[in-house]
Amino acid sequence: MNHKVIYLDYAATTPVDPRVAEKMAGCLTCEGMFANPASAHAPGRAARGAVEQARNQVAALVGAEPGEIIFTSGATESDNLAIKGAMHFYQGKGRHLVTSRIEHKAVLDTCKQLERDGFEVTWLKPDPDGLIQPSMIEQALRPDTVLVSIMHVNNEIGTLNDIAAIGRITRERGVLFHVDAAQSAGKLPIDLKTLRVDLMSFSGHKVYGPKGIGALYVRREPRVQLDPLIHGGGHEHGLRSGTLATHQIVGMGAAFDLARQELAQEAPRLRALRERLWQALHAAIPQALLNGHPSQRVCGILNVAFPGIEGESLLFACEALAVSSGSACTSADRQPSFVLRALGRDDQLAGSSIRFSVGRFSIAAEVDTAASIVSEEYRRLLDLAPTG
Amino acid sequence: MPASATEYSATVWTHFRSPCNAGEFPAGTAGVLGGEAGARQRGRAVAFQLQVNADGRVADCRYRVYGCPATIALCSLTSEALKGRPLAAASAFSVVALAEQLGLPAAKRSAALTVEDAIRSAAGRYNSPGWLPLAAAELTHRA
Repeated sequence: MNHKVIYLDYAATTPVDPRVAEKMAGCLTCEGMFANPASAHAPGRAARGAVEQARNQVAALVGAEPGEIIFTSGATESDNLAIKGAMHFYQGKGRHLVTSRIEHKAVLDTCKQLERDGFEVTWLKPDPDGLIQPSMIEQALRPDTVLVSIMHVNNEIGTLNDIAAIGRITRERGVLFHVDAAQSAGKLPIDLKTLRVDLMSFSGHKVYGPKGIGALYVRREPRVQLDPLIHGGGHEHGLRSGTLATHQIVGMGAAFDLARQELAQEAPRLRALRERLWQALHAAIPQALLNGHPSQRVCGILNVAFPGIEGESLLFACEALAVSSGSACTSADRQPSFVLRALGRDDQLAGSSIRFSVGRFSIAAEVDTAASIVSEEYRRLLDLAPTG
Repeated sequence: MPASATEYSATVWTHFRSPCNAGEFPAGTAGVLGGEAGARQRGRAVAFQLQVNADGRVADCRYRVYGCPATIALCSLTSEALKGRPLAAASAFSVVALAEQLGLPAAKRSAALTVEDAIRSAAGRYNSPGWLPLAAAELTHRA
């Protein structure tokens, strides 16, 4: 890692844990498990064994059966497969789905594509804390609703939706429930044996695994069926054809295994770091605003609006920090975060919001340094600005 | 980090980090013309002050700025460039050309226009009733 920059962008991606990288390296070269897992010979069987072990490891983190885990190229593909796959397979039942305005782009853009294809989408607006309440789902369901897709944890603000309650409603109404869990897996306990969730998307690189690998949980009881997106070989129960990327899959499995072992200790540690950062920022900048619900949130994500200054300048001024901005000010037309705008933040506040996300390699000293850098630069930019 | 981060030159970066002439003249300072442009709601706002001598030249500048790094850097560089220029030349100074010389992305052209507008607004107050250039104001004050 670049030690000149304090990395506080774990919600964007995580470094591969060295223990994971070691396992992956064992699947690449002549001495390792490089063979095609679909091959019948001994090296192929060895690779297949490694893939199935990884499947077990992914399933174990979330209380699923190994046979319910389908490997994909990442959470974006998982979202596409879940949503398009379900809507196309069950279109005889109906052509309506429900989602929210603050889903990840992988869900938003997939649903928009379905709208262009003639499906109907209900876009729910979150409450001012950034939550999708179960009652909102209940009111949006129709006799022709096939699917509800709601994220577990919002990737920008870290708020946590009550997927247990939403799942009870959808199951009772005979509607499928898809959850994007890219930001929650490994950070929150997930038990798919008790949750009434039918489809759940996971990402490898958010959990200290490699990029380019993800998984989709597809419930077997009651059975959920999907139309595949990719054809050609019938891999992954026919749902995702293509030669299995053994090293990526093994990496994701090892990463999920470590997350399962360390979750109980790591989640409170991250929560304490996040709280330490917020308290330091709020003490130095009392006018700073927390974006999203104050307590119903994932352990590692903090999103703060800094009134009175311009967002891109704050981000640049804090060049010693790797954080994410609430806006993409790369053009004359400013594009504040659609998530923060949906929460009711105006363009200025949405544009001057920063997402800090702590992770496995974060330490208290980094958080303290980050708070003092942001506070100092905030005051400098505020002093520079015209009054009024 | 936004994509434009890599598109800022070292000069822009330096003036963003340590802007020259930032702030404003103390209230009542002689010979000061002030003008504003832009709006926070639109992402940038600039308040520019020109201190003008009796010979009609810009003696000094101050500004306050809310905006992206390019806007801040352009205020800083322009405030240096205007010193010593006749007011008419200062008013005609092309911040857009400066932005092009600095290699700022085309999308930042509106930042340059906002700075230009603030300077022209200030210069346009040259003939305001009661305003006097620096030396004349000081003489009047002494008298």
